[in-house]
Amino acid sequence: MTDTKNGPGMKEYIAIWVGLLCIVGIETFLTTMHISTHRLLAALLVLAFVEAGIALLFFMHLKYERPRLFWTLVPLVIFVLFMMNHIWPDAYRMLNMRVPIQ
Amino acid sequence: MSESEMTLGAGQATAFEPSPYGVQSKKLTMWLFIASDAVTFGAILFGYAYLRAGTPDWPTPFQFSPSIVNGLIMTLVLLTSSLTMLAAVAAAKQGRKSSALLWISATIVLGIIFATLHLREWFHMFAEGWSLSKNPLGGTVMFGATFFSITGLHLMHVISGVIALIVIAIGYNTEWLDAGHVETTGLYWHFVDLVWMFVFPLLYLMNVAR
Repeated sequence: MTDTKNGPGMKEYIAIWVGLLCIVGIETFLTTMHISTHRLLAALLVLAFVEAGIALLFFMHLKYERPRLFWTLVPLVIFVLFMMNHIWPDAYRMLNMRVPIQ
Repeated sequence: MSESEMTLGAGQATAFEPSPYGVQSKKLTMWLFIASDAVTFGAILFGYAYLRAGTPDWPTPFQFSPSIVNGLIMTLVLLTSSLTMLAAVAAAKQGRKSSALLWISATIVLGIIFATLHLREWFHMFAEGWSLSKNPLGGTVMFGATFFSITGLHLMHVISGVIALIVIAIGYNTEWLDAGHVETTGLYWHFVDLVWMFVFPLLYLMNVAR
């Protein structure tokens, strides 16, 4: 009926689940550290993308589907999200043009 | 046997090409929905980031306890619900009906716990004076607007998922629905979990009072 390959077993899924919980723990630990907001944001985003990638490939089984499903969906979503980055110059313009509160 | 052969019979099925993705149409539809929903969440998170980057007096109201502790418990519950959903899909594919129903029920319970914890946090914030247009700390009101919008959209997905899982459990139990339906709903549930992996760090951890 489908070409889906057999994915991991429950033991592997539990290992992945533990790994994801560890990443959440690292994220929370980083929040308690006295690092700059920009560095914290960068670190949290990298870890969130790693978590999302693991969930997508293993929990959502995308790794075990035909490659063309991955290549149809993922680049499309990444492209759209990438194109949303044009907002930043306007966000910083808004910050700099703000009238100071007396 | 292909899906079209199962639906139409071998004679008529020759008129149809096989699925280029090798998945059932309902699963492909769910993937397309997930792609569009990912863009929706991406847009709303970009909107939040835009407002935050352009606002100098952005509040950081969350303390480690209770807000982040509550968020961590919610994360644990949601991640665990993904694990129970995987067990449900595995059992359904192997034809272990009672086991599949048990794991679907566990996922439903965890989904309800997540929603309850979320609503409890919301009401606690309402009691402190937060709303879509109010900031009890002074400064911009956009924190409440973005926080309640994004977490509200996610919560709506969780509640929709719980309702979908209840329907799937009933349908699977009465053999009106099959293991493919359980798998497709599981895909949606994992996506809800995936979105939370961005919502928790960006809306909770980035707004801890430092």
